Amino acid sequence: MKQFEKILKFELKYYFKNKVFVGITIFFMVAIAVVMFLPRALEMFKSDDTADTTEEVSVMLVKADDSAQADMVKEIFAASFEDYDVQITDADTEAIKDEIVSGEAECAFVMTGPTSYVYYVNNLSMYDMNTQIADEVLGQIYQMNAMINGGMTQQQAAEVMNIKIESEIENLGKNQMENFLYTYIMIFALYVVILLYGQMVATNVATEKSSRAMELLITSAKPTAMMFGKVIASCLAGFIQIIAIFGSALIFYNLNKSYWESNMMVGSAFNIPPELLFYMLLFFVLGFLIYAFMFGAVGSTASKLEDINTSVMPLTMLFVVAFVVVMTSMSSGNVDTIVMKVCSFIPFTSPMSMFTRIAMSTVPWYEIVISIVILIASTIGIGVLAARIYRVGVLLYGTPPKIGAIIKAVMAADRKNN
Amino acid sequence: MILELRNIEKSFGDKQVLTGVSFKAEGGKAFGLLGRNGAGKTTSIRILMNVFPANGGEVLMDGKPIDYDKVGFGYLPEERGLYPKKIIIDQLIYFAELKGMSRRKAIESIDYWLERLGMMEYRNKRLDTLSKGNQQKIQLVTALAHDPEIVILDEPFSGLDPVNAMLLKDVVKEQIAKSKIVLFSSHQMSYIEEFCDSIAILNNGRVALHGDLHDIKRDYPRDRLVVRTEKPDAIKADFGAACTVGENGALMIQLRSADEKKAVMSRLAEKYDIDEVKVFEPSLNDIFVEYAGDAPKED
Repeated sequence: MKQFEKILKFELKYYFKNKVFVGITIFFMVAIAVVMFLPRALEMFKSDDTADTTEEVSVMLVKADDSAQADMVKEIFAASFEDYDVQITDADTEAIKDEIVSGEAECAFVMTGPTSYVYYVNNLSMYDMNTQIADEVLGQIYQMNAMINGGMTQQQAAEVMNIKIESEIENLGKNQMENFLYTYIMIFALYVVILLYGQMVATNVATEKSSRAMELLITSAKPTAMMFGKVIASCLAGFIQIIAIFGSALIFYNLNKSYWESNMMVGSAFNIPPELLFYMLLFFVLGFLIYAFMFGAVGSTASKLEDINTSVMPLTMLFVVAFVVVMTSMSSGNVDTIVMKVCSFIPFTSPMSMFTRIAMSTVPWYEIVISIVILIASTIGIGVLAARIYRVGVLLYGTPPKIGAIIKAVMAADRKNN
Repeated sequence: MILELRNIEKSFGDKQVLTGVSFKAEGGKAFGLLGRNGAGKTTSIRILMNVFPANGGEVLMDGKPIDYDKVGFGYLPEERGLYPKKIIIDQLIYFAELKGMSRRKAIESIDYWLERLGMMEYRNKRLDTLSKGNQQKIQLVTALAHDPEIVILDEPFSGLDPVNAMLLKDVVKEQIAKSKIVLFSSHQMSYIEEFCDSIAILNNGRVALHGDLHDIKRDYPRDRLVVRTEKPDAIKADFGAACTVGENGALMIQLRSADEKKAVMSRLAEKYDIDEVKVFEPSLNDIFVEYAGDAPKED
């Protein structure tokens, strides 16, 4: 136990003295601070500026052969397109095109009938909604005219057009819209952290092996103490990093809360129910540990640092597949598919899939308990197994051994111990 | 204090590495573990230090199974290596603490050893800024700082210049004088011969020879004489085929039996102009070649 403490301390110090580790953490904290303070800064900028600068408004040209239609369209478009300065033009099509290309006007609607037009624009942006708006507005005008022509008064027609449907939502389970963002953030954070730290643990072990520090370590400390010391140190380091990043995000958000209230998405990300936060932490820690142990064991079988990348590949693949499965079902909106249900009991996938199901659907309590029990038991099992592989692996040099050979050696070592 | 390996068996998979290995090492004396590459020296040392268990046999301390929680080991592995990118004092403290020392005591002891080995100026430097010989001295500190009862030195002299080798010799003598068990493993026979009172030679995972070095040498038949002389020709003519010229130019006379030793010696002294005559004793090198000579079997 004392050895474990020493190793934990030593390894933890390694992370906090690592400039890259500290640099990345600080970078993220600063980036989040910048984002969180942005609306406040923009507001200040705006209130200073509006007095003396007039905002430049893009010009939208409207042309119709019938001047009555032109007037009407101009009037309605001016109300519908608030961002534009809508102007009537008599110029011919070529002149209109020139004006758009030269940038004098941004776009033009040339009416070819009561319900048809040609839309001119220089670069059609992905987010250009102008034609949709125009379609809707023109359609409404046509419908209203038809109703008036059919004998309704203008008021009656307007009432029909503007009918409001009253509705109420009573959600008996989870609100996926609200939970989506922080589930997404948690899954993504878990993904990045596990791959990043897993690789770090594996590299750390392989470095000790290739620098032959292992020769001395293995005679100074018990393999279990070393394995657990290393993995738990990396877990703590990862956790401290995440708490620093997300904690600062939370603080900065609360400092600027009033500026963000209008943004539903961001608001929902910071509005996690405590119960879910608990599950989040639990699955995070267990998921992290189980993978870190495996990465550590794999690292111990590589004798050169160059071997690490190929050695950890199967592990990385397993994890990426789990990630893709969860992400796919999350975006499909149905997180209770058979695949997800099975995955939420397999210890390698359950940290992501079970958490997603808890957050975005309603899962019976016993399923949660079973999943957590399986996960805890496997984490301990994998930890002990990893320590044994480590004990055998660290003294093997040369080409990385096959998985079968390692398991054989571990089992043989067990027989001798008992 | 007597450390004893008794009938140690070890195999890795199908490969039998050690077969019935037994030897004894006493406190206050140095013990030499010899053998060619792949003979099983490192495996024996690892079993001795409980890195992995043996398939059979036992490790005893004063006749009782050794208690690894109580007996301290200091180890200088043949494959040297610490953390190249870390500050020297940090890693020395780490290793001493892993061996159970308190931080304060560790620093005290490490500073003593750094001073003793003339490495104080490197205390706060990174290990990879040091030369190979100096790195080895740092490694030696990890083996000695926690004042272990048993010191195991695997090829301690390789890579050291003569001045550093002298320094290491003094340190080793000091450890022996403190009645510790000092176990050497080396291919440099001259050092073993200088320090070790007893040896074990491993060959293909078996102990080919074990015992007190002095006794081993005495046990060789004392039927050869070494003669140093400026005028060898007359002696050569006298003894004929029994007289050969050794490597260093001295004459070697093979006697018919050890009994005529005294007679031949006095005849040589009376008849010829000789500088020295003595009974031939094999060097450790000769013994080693004889017992560890046949090529180790490859599997």
